[in-house]
Amino acid sequence: MDVIANQLFAGLSMASILLMIALGLAIIYGAMGVINLAHGEFVMLGAYATWALQTYAGIGILPALPLVFISVAAVGWIVEKVVVQNLYHRPLDTILATWGIGIILQQAVRLGVGAESRFVKGPALLSGNTEIGPLIMSNYRLFVIVFSMAVLAATWVLMTRTEFGMKLRAVIQNRAISECYGIEAKRVYSITFAYGAGLAGIAGALITPLFSTIPTMGTGLVVDAFLVVIVGGLGSLIGSAAASVLIGEATAIFSIVINDTLGRIAVLAGIILLIRFRPRGLFPTETRR
Amino acid sequence: MENLKARDLYSYYGTSPVLQGVSFDLQQGEFLAVLGRNGVGKTTLLKSIMGLTDRCDGGLAFGEREILGLSTPQRSRLGIGYIPQGREIIPQFTVRENIVMGTFARTDGSRDIPDYLFDMFPILKEFISRRAGDLSGGQQQQLAIARALAMDPKILILDEPTEGIQPNIVKQIEDAIVWLNQERGLGIILVEQNVPFARSASDRFLLLDKGRVVLTGKSDELTDDLVEKHLTF
Repeated sequence: MDVIANQLFAGLSMASILLMIALGLAIIYGAMGVINLAHGEFVMLGAYATWALQTYAGIGILPALPLVFISVAAVGWIVEKVVVQNLYHRPLDTILATWGIGIILQQAVRLGVGAESRFVKGPALLSGNTEIGPLIMSNYRLFVIVFSMAVLAATWVLMTRTEFGMKLRAVIQNRAISECYGIEAKRVYSITFAYGAGLAGIAGALITPLFSTIPTMGTGLVVDAFLVVIVGGLGSLIGSAAASVLIGEATAIFSIVINDTLGRIAVLAGIILLIRFRPRGLFPTETRR
Repeated sequence: MENLKARDLYSYYGTSPVLQGVSFDLQQGEFLAVLGRNGVGKTTLLKSIMGLTDRCDGGLAFGEREILGLSTPQRSRLGIGYIPQGREIIPQFTVRENIVMGTFARTDGSRDIPDYLFDMFPILKEFISRRAGDLSGGQQQQLAIARALAMDPKILILDEPTEGIQPNIVKQIEDAIVWLNQERGLGIILVEQNVPFARSASDRFLLLDKGRVVLTGKSDELTDDLVEKHLTF
């Protein structure tokens, strides 16, 4: 029983990380119809930025978060401006282009920093555990869960309660007419892409104490994040949240009931089954190219 | 108020020129009706003014400013209010959000909705919090006009605003267009199939065929014979 409770908790903290990665993917897909295959590398850049800040500047994970968000968002902004923006009318090519960008980023880090695993210390402030009966929760994982909820809330507010969000929703529904009312669709797209990249960066920063920081770390994570987006329903914030919990917990449960590899197979089989009956995910929304 | 001046305007979708050398003037506060059969380029003319076609050649000036090199949002901020064919309100937005969207083209940053819009179309006030997609066609058209007016435009360009709309609302919309032109001094370009209304409301007309201007003149010169010759199928 204790094992299961603790495993569920670990699954929840993994789900929180997945949620932040998937949110960025979902926003970028929902807004622009772009499947961003470089998203995992944005996570990886976030992790390396955190490592670099800690190693060379002595800045811990928590104060590094805003810096990482801004720097990865800047990378995303440049990628959007230079490559993606020219390909909006060729959706299939954006997949290839972003995949290529991902490979370039991965190799650049491998050449610049090295292929060996890097370690980042968790914040001393959150080093202990909180115990409730048999349930032992690391304070850091608790923080990650709360933080991802806050990110979800902030994203929801940004999308539904701000003028930027309203402009974005207008552009998603009808780009031409939005431009006829003064909305700079290109600018809206750039900011949205940068925001999604920034979220990936933060996820990468938060994952560093839990995961080894290597150039290929993003690839596995982004696959799970894609599964979250597909299961949740493309472009749906609530769907992404529900699906990340579902997939995080399913992975955690299966890996104790069977083992990691078979658990993985079981999760994938479950998703295939779910997509068979709900092809547009749990919470489908109207999206428009 | 500003004037709009087109000189030898060509407009393309891909490589095919839909407009081929169109020239016209819209004086300050003038009402210009654009007439013609289906597929002669009337909608394309309005889209070209907003920069929504693939490419344009020739000259297009708004006031003192050449605007062919400007992006669509830049043109809208100069004060060109476009009411497209089929209304194209945002169905998932509320009525209020749709009208506020019009103010995004204002240069003074104001997000206030002018009161006179609700005097003109009281139904919009009643339905202010409803989803725009749930409105009837006629109500959506009123909303589309209100959205364009919320930007405080200098001229309005309207694409068949009464197409497919119940008759009692058609009258309201026509009265509103005339009122905007006469009482508020807005320059208007109206694409219209309803020749009697276009003739009575407009100062001048522009008759298009196959992407060219075949006839232009004062609206009272638009005789039934000319209508018969150029506008019947």
